[in-house]
Formats: sequence, structure tokens, C-alpha cells
Amino acid sequence: MAADEDGVMWVEKYRPKTLNEVVDLRDIVESLKAFMRNPKTMPHLLLAGIPGTGKTTVALCIARELFGQNWKTFTLELNASDERGIDTVRDRVKDFSRYSRAAFGNVPFALIILDESDQMTSAAQTALRRIMETSSRTSRFILICNQSGKIIEPIQSRCAIFRFSKLDRKAMIDHLCCIAKKENVSLAPEAAERIVDYAEGDLRHAINALQTAAAYREGLVDEKTVSQVIGEASPIQVQLMIRKALYGDFIEARKMMYELIGSFGFSGSEIVRQMQRELFKMSSLTPEQKADLSNIIGEYDYRLTQGANSDIQLSALLAQFAKVGKAKGESS
Amino acid sequence: MKEDLLWVEKYRPKKIVDIIGNDEAKAAFVEWLKNKRHTKKAILLYGPPGVGKTTLVNAAANEFGFRVIEMNASDTRSEKAISAVAGPATSFVALDTFSTESKGNILFLDEVDGIAGNEDRGGVSAIVRIVEESRIPVIMAANDPDLQKLRPLKKVSALVRFHQVRIPLIIAMLQKICHKEHVKAEFEALERIAENSRGDVRSAINDLQSLAETTKTLTLQDTVVLSARNKDISMDETLRSYFSAESLLEAAMLLSRSSVDYDDLLMAIGDNLPLRYGDPAELAEAYDFVSQADMYRGRIGVENWHLLKYFFNSLSEAAAVSPESYKPFTLISPPIRVITLFWTKGKRTMLDAICSKIGQKCHVSRATAKQDFIPFLKVLLAKQKAASALSWLGLQPEEVEFLTKMNKF
Repeated sequence: MAADEDGVMWVEKYRPKTLNEVVDLRDIVESLKAFMRNPKTMPHLLLAGIPGTGKTTVALCIARELFGQNWKTFTLELNASDERGIDTVRDRVKDFSRYSRAAFGNVPFALIILDESDQMTSAAQTALRRIMETSSRTSRFILICNQSGKIIEPIQSRCAIFRFSKLDRKAMIDHLCCIAKKENVSLAPEAAERIVDYAEGDLRHAINALQTAAAYREGLVDEKTVSQVIGEASPIQVQLMIRKALYGDFIEARKMMYELIGSFGFSGSEIVRQMQRELFKMSSLTPEQKADLSNIIGEYDYRLTQGANSDIQLSALLAQFAKVGKAKGESS
Repeated sequence: MKEDLLWVEKYRPKKIVDIIGNDEAKAAFVEWLKNKRHTKKAILLYGPPGVGKTTLVNAAANEFGFRVIEMNASDTRSEKAISAVAGPATSFVALDTFSTESKGNILFLDEVDGIAGNEDRGGVSAIVRIVEESRIPVIMAANDPDLQKLRPLKKVSALVRFHQVRIPLIIAMLQKICHKEHVKAEFEALERIAENSRGDVRSAINDLQSLAETTKTLTLQDTVVLSARNKDISMDETLRSYFSAESLLEAAMLLSRSSVDYDDLLMAIGDNLPLRYGDPAELAEAYDFVSQADMYRGRIGVENWHLLKYFFNSLSEAAAVSPESYKPFTLISPPIRVITLFWTKGKRTMLDAICSKIGQKCHVSRATAKQDFIPFLKVLLAKQKAASALSWLGLQPEEVEFLTKMNKF
């Protein structure tokens, strides 16, 4: 196939095209294949699970299997976290069901894939439920989310729900090795292990790390390169911010916080999530210290959801870090 | 019985000429009422409080023989509420006073900038609809005409701006009232009251009345209490006294007197706190209180205002963590967040555009692209192995350059 279509990002190049190629989701794939044999029976679907476990891939596979080559004509892909509001979603769904010829062969509907649907407010979801009802004769929805609990009951009850759990280690390693082979990259077993550890069950993350590592030394990926990539790809700003805070330099730490908010456009909860991730990579802290700091992050992660102003909560969190850092400095 | 009246009501002008100040605004309004209301159905009077907007409407109605149907912000401004009151009024009148020449009713919506948040969802659009459908004149009054949400209103109406009333005019007004109420007042005392009001006639009259409660001979000495009661303590004044407060109680008193916006106050305290507390332990403790205040603010939302006391209490605690460590410092203003977002807007827009492109090619949201793809792309770029990926994603040269620069962080 032409590189143009496959893409040069490996996540896209090696994204399974058919349900049979999907990694490690046997049960889900088998049930879905039953729908493919008789599309008329396919209900709305709700695919739930942590990132990088194949939800979007499965949805795209379904589109391909239903509509073949021209799947794009009959499929509307929307991402709830990108659309500005339910009105945009409504308009796009309406337009789509008007223009797409809703019947293709023995498939009597067009497909609407709504990714990250748990990002919608419950008011928006209620509106979505209406949209699902009014367009049900011409369209099927595949809703994708991280937490099915954030989807309102009435929508859940209208969907067949499939839960995607963390991918199996072995399956992930096999998949990475398979890609490495096709790309003529020699992947050391420990390197593969290291990538999988790092990715925490997120295959997209793992493949991105592999591709980046492969660019380091032509065709050779060992554990050292992987560590290097992971280091360089981590948000340095976040690590620096934590370090400054722990060093007791609150003002500098807060400057970096505003750099993350301003230049990178991160939200409060995104920054907190990254702090949590970066904290455990820091070698200068003992496990006990990490646990204590992690507790503090947890507390402020919660406060963020309660409060009105994320800057305040982030600043308060950094102030706690600075306090711990000072105590740590005095005791040693 | 008349004695019990508030002086602001008792001496509220009944005729347009008796209203002090704002001559241009008055003329423009009368002109609209006489000649222009058939072409431009609505008018928005805006300006600081207590300068005579509402008084002007009522006086004009009096003189020109209109009946005023009034709504103000204390009514719930939901679309339903407005349609219930204003809907029938507007169409009824259209029927019984069919000739456009005849005088009839005026719909007066006071304090339209009080339309806020979810509680009054639809309020603004409902008003716009009323203006468009109404066959009678609609008059609106507002304090702050620049609020985003009022923009639709500004489009459909004529605008008349009111200014603060000049001090000498207020003094003359106060003298007249003193004369009628048999109060002997030093000129300096009245001057002080007038200056203190910052052009707000209503508050000047209120102050005069409350001072005259205790004495019938008013001296400058008597007006000292006024500064403490001055409701318009600016943000800077508030912050300065807040950070130098010597006790929890002092901080609490001060906050309760200040009328600055709660959210602005919270943000400003958050910004300045590290300048107040140099010691990390004190800073952490103070921020913990501010963080709690912010959580109360979150719970208050738009309706649970009874929680406001806890919000203020937590903020006051933050000021009183260690009164002895206070040293004067230069306040940060304007808000760091506002400044940051202003200077970095270009960067964010660029990053957003890049993430959109990644999102389209790789079936992910912009947020996911930013977290999962950008870090790796940056590394590839540094290793000069990204050329094919970048062109496949369709990134423009300036976007590539942006990513390269980002690498330095």
C-alpha cells in the first residue's frame, strides 16, 4: 500500500484493518463479528476502557468491515473533546445523515463514531440521547469512552457495552516485536519489556516510544535507548516544576506552572496527572517520599474537581511540595 | 408617616429638569422618546449606579403620560418569567393602542446586567426577542454595558451613556435636602459626603440621612465614620489591608466591607500570597486555606450563596497565618493568569492547529495528540528523523519550526 495512506506514524501504519488482526481482544472480537455477519441486528455500541487498548481501532475496523473500501463515505468520526458543544455534534450528525446515502448493500444505516464521549456533560448526553433516537432509523452510534460510569444510564441502556481491559503484557510485547520485524529493527527483549512497563497497558504509547527509539540508532533498539527516549519525551517542564518546588523555590515553580498552562495549554487536571506520572520517575526521592507526595497530589486532584479556580489549587499543591522539600532539606 | 420615608424616595425628582447632572444623556433620552422610538424600538441607558437612570425613566413617564411596566434583577430572569410578564404586555398594548402616535405603555427592564449564569439562562435572548417583537418602546438600564452577555442587547438598541454626577451638583442637592429637613450642616461636611459618594447621588443622600439620624447639626467631624462605611474599597486597598491584617477578625471585617468581585479577589490573593509569606511552611498553610476557600466558591456555584460566609472565613484564615511576619511588598496586578494567557495565545493557537492535524490523521482528540504524540514528535525532530512524519501530517514550515523551538523546554 502507498505510504501516503498507511502513514509514517507506526501507530497508524500498523493499526489493524480487520477485526481478525486486533491484538488480544478475542471475546469482544467474536461478539462483534456476529453483528458483522448480519448488520441489521447491530445495536448502538458503547466501547469503554483505558486509553490505548484498541477501542478506536475496533470502531474503525467495524466501519471497514461494514462498508469496505468506501467506509469513509458512510462513517462520521467525531471527538467529543474537540467539538465545542452538543449543538455542533447535533448539526454534524444531522448534516451527515442527510447527505450520506444511508443504505449500503445489506447495511441499512450509516455509522457515527463518537470518541471520548465521557467528556460530554450530562446535559449534552441527554441531548445526544435525543439525537440517537431521532436518527436511529438511519444511523448507528459507536460511543467510545474511558469510563462507562460517566455515561448517563439512558444511553447505556440503549447500547451494547463492551469493556476493554488493560492489554496483556505478552500480547503487547509480541505486537511490538512483530512491528520491529517488519521495520527491520532489532528489538532487544529487555528493551521491549522496558517499553511495555513504561506504557502501562497503553499500546499507542508503546508504539510511539518504539518508533522514536528506533530513530536513535539505525535499526537497533536496546534498553539504554529506550530509557533515553522515555527521558527525553517526558514533559521536562513538569519535572523541572516539581524539582523547583521541592527545592523550596515556589516562585520559579509557579512560573513553570504558568508556562504549562499558557504555552502548552494544559488544564489543571492534565498537569496534576503528569505530575503524578513524573513523580515516580524521579530517582532523587525515596519510595516513602514518593508515596507521601503522591498522597498530596491525590488530595489536590480531588480539590480541583471541587474548586472553581484551578490556578489556586495548583499553586496550593506546589506550596505543599515546597513545604515538604524544605523539611526534607533540613532533615538531611 | 412621611417622616419614615427614605430621603432618596422622598426627594426623588418627579420632573426631568429636577434630575441633576447628565444633561446630554437626558436630552438624548427625551429625543428618543419623542421622535426616535418608532425607528429604534429599544434604548439602553448605562452608567454607574445612583446617577438617575431609573429616576429619569419614571420622571419621563410622568411627564409624557406613559405607564411603566417594570422588571428588575430581583425578579427571576428566566425566559419564562420574562415572557410571562413582558410577553402579554407587549402584544396587548399593540392591540389597544393601535395607532403608533398614541401614548401607552413602556416596558422598563432595570439592571439588565444582573442577568447572570445558568439561573437566568435565556434571559438575554428572551429580551432581544421581546425587543424585536414588541410594538411598544423598551427601555433597559445597566451598570456595566461591556459585559459579553449583553452584546446581543447592544445590537438592537440605542445607547445612552450616563456619567458620575459632578460633586458641586451633589452638594447643592444635599443643601436643598438639609434645608427641607431642618438639618444644619457645615459645607465641608456635605462636600465630604459628596466626594465620598464618587458621583453616586443615591448613596450621598443615604449617607446624609444616616448621619442626620444622630445629629441635627452636621460637622466635618461627624463624617469621619463615612470612610469606614465606604462600600467601594478598591482591589488594591482591599489587598493591602488584607495582607497586613493583624488578626483573623480584622481580615474578616475588611473582606466583608469590600465590594470587589469574589472571583477577582480569590485570584488576586492567590497571585500575591507567595509575596506575603516567604516561609514555605507558612505559605503552604495559607494556600491550604485559600484552596479551601476556592472549594467553597466551587460549591457556591451560582446559587448556594449562603456558603459565602465560609468562603470569606477561609480567606480570612489565610491572612492570619502569621501576622508577625508581615512586611510591605509590591502587589502583583493584573492577574498572572490573564497576562500569561494574553502573551501565550499565539503559541497555544499554533499548538492547537498542530494537534488538530495529528488528531485527524491518527483518530485522536487534540488533548490526546498533545499528550501522546507531541513529546515523541519533538524527540524525532531533534534526531532529524521526523521529516516524513511531519510531511505526512501536513505540517506547515512554521509549525515545524514551532515544534523545534518547543524542544528547548
